[in-house]
Amino acid sequence: MATHALFETSSGYAIFEVKLHDVVGALDKAVQASIDDFSKFNKMVSLVSFAPFQNAAHALENMNDLSENTIHPYLRDILELNLAKPKKGSSVVLAVNSALAPVLKEQMGINCSSKEVATDILRGIREHAPRLLKGLQDTDITKAQLGLGHAYSRAKLKFNVNRIDNMII
Amino acid sequence: GRGGARGGANVILKPHRHPGIFIAEGKESLLVTKNLVPGEAVYGEKRISIDGGVEGTKVEYRVWNPFRSKLAAGVLNGVDNIGIAPGKKVLYLGAASGTSVSHVADIVGPEGTVYAVEFSLRSGRDLISMAKKRTNVIPIVEDARTPQRYRMLLSTVDVIFADVAQPDQARIISLNAEYFLKNGGFVVISIKASCIDSTVPAEAVFAREVETLRQSKIKPLEQVTLEPYERDHAMVTGVYQRHS
Repeated sequence: MATHALFETSSGYAIFEVKLHDVVGALDKAVQASIDDFSKFNKMVSLVSFAPFQNAAHALENMNDLSENTIHPYLRDILELNLAKPKKGSSVVLAVNSALAPVLKEQMGINCSSKEVATDILRGIREHAPRLLKGLQDTDITKAQLGLGHAYSRAKLKFNVNRIDNMII
Repeated sequence: GRGGARGGANVILKPHRHPGIFIAEGKESLLVTKNLVPGEAVYGEKRISIDGGVEGTKVEYRVWNPFRSKLAAGVLNGVDNIGIAPGKKVLYLGAASGTSVSHVADIVGPEGTVYAVEFSLRSGRDLISMAKKRTNVIPIVEDARTPQRYRMLLSTVDVIFADVAQPDQARIISLNAEYFLKNGGFVVISIKASCIDSTVPAEAVFAREVETLRQSKIKPLEQVTLEPYERDHAMVTGVYQRHS
């Protein structure tokens, strides 16, 4: 079972501690209802750390790496900082995107879970992000998404070697 | 001619059954959306200014052509619920140059968001320039088959609209739903029969796609044809049920 969760946003990385994880053993309608309900989901996860990106270029670097399943040095630092604390008799299992899981295991030795339960925990975090990430309003999140969406998409056009006509600004 | 306030006082604006969509009734009835960026057309479409509530104020609407937009065709053919309304978050797969997306942006308005995914670089370029004016559109030039590559850019959405015209479109939608669509959220799909399988009748293709959706946790609600605007196309709606 996952003990922690990594959630990537346009504004930065969020690490959550997953509580009551033994309860979330089997996914059924009732568990799904608790994930949908913020007051219940809020008891299942708690924010450990939110690490914002320093600026737009930093966010783009991180997104480019993440889209290629590469661990950016910033992400590495944050994971080392927040997951290193050893707890008696318990080991960290990180709920993470299924594409990133094998890379984190191989390069950082972090045990990962990307099964259905982990997917649903991450779905719950995405849904309730504006309330879980305190200080980050829904409008702030959208603003960061807008900036990064444009930057990422522009870069896609720019680095395409096959394009016929050019339009680099 | 282009743009202009033709019709003016002779045109009466009526709200459509779907919130955020309107009908301009003049000599003919036209489907329109309220222009989010008044004074500008996106792709040369006609604009109509209609008197606002207060004297001397005009509100500008853009004509939404069902021959150019499958969503408009679905709306005109009476699809019951599209889930797209003011304030909603929409994931639009197969955004192309963003002509249809611009109308969806009008419908959701400044409080809503449209995440517009398009893989083709040529179309992506037009999409980006459209999104520069319409700041409730987040352009994503990426393959809709790999939602993990753009997962950082999205919040949970209320609706997925898909017009990807790919044989594996049901799989593409299901992948994106797992990442981004809220439980109980809406799915609206335009299915082009010949893109899926051109060797069997269109009706058989639609039935098979609906069955595939059912197996992808999407409960089908409705199917309407897009005739006469598009041949052998259907629009299917469904609701996402993560755990039934």
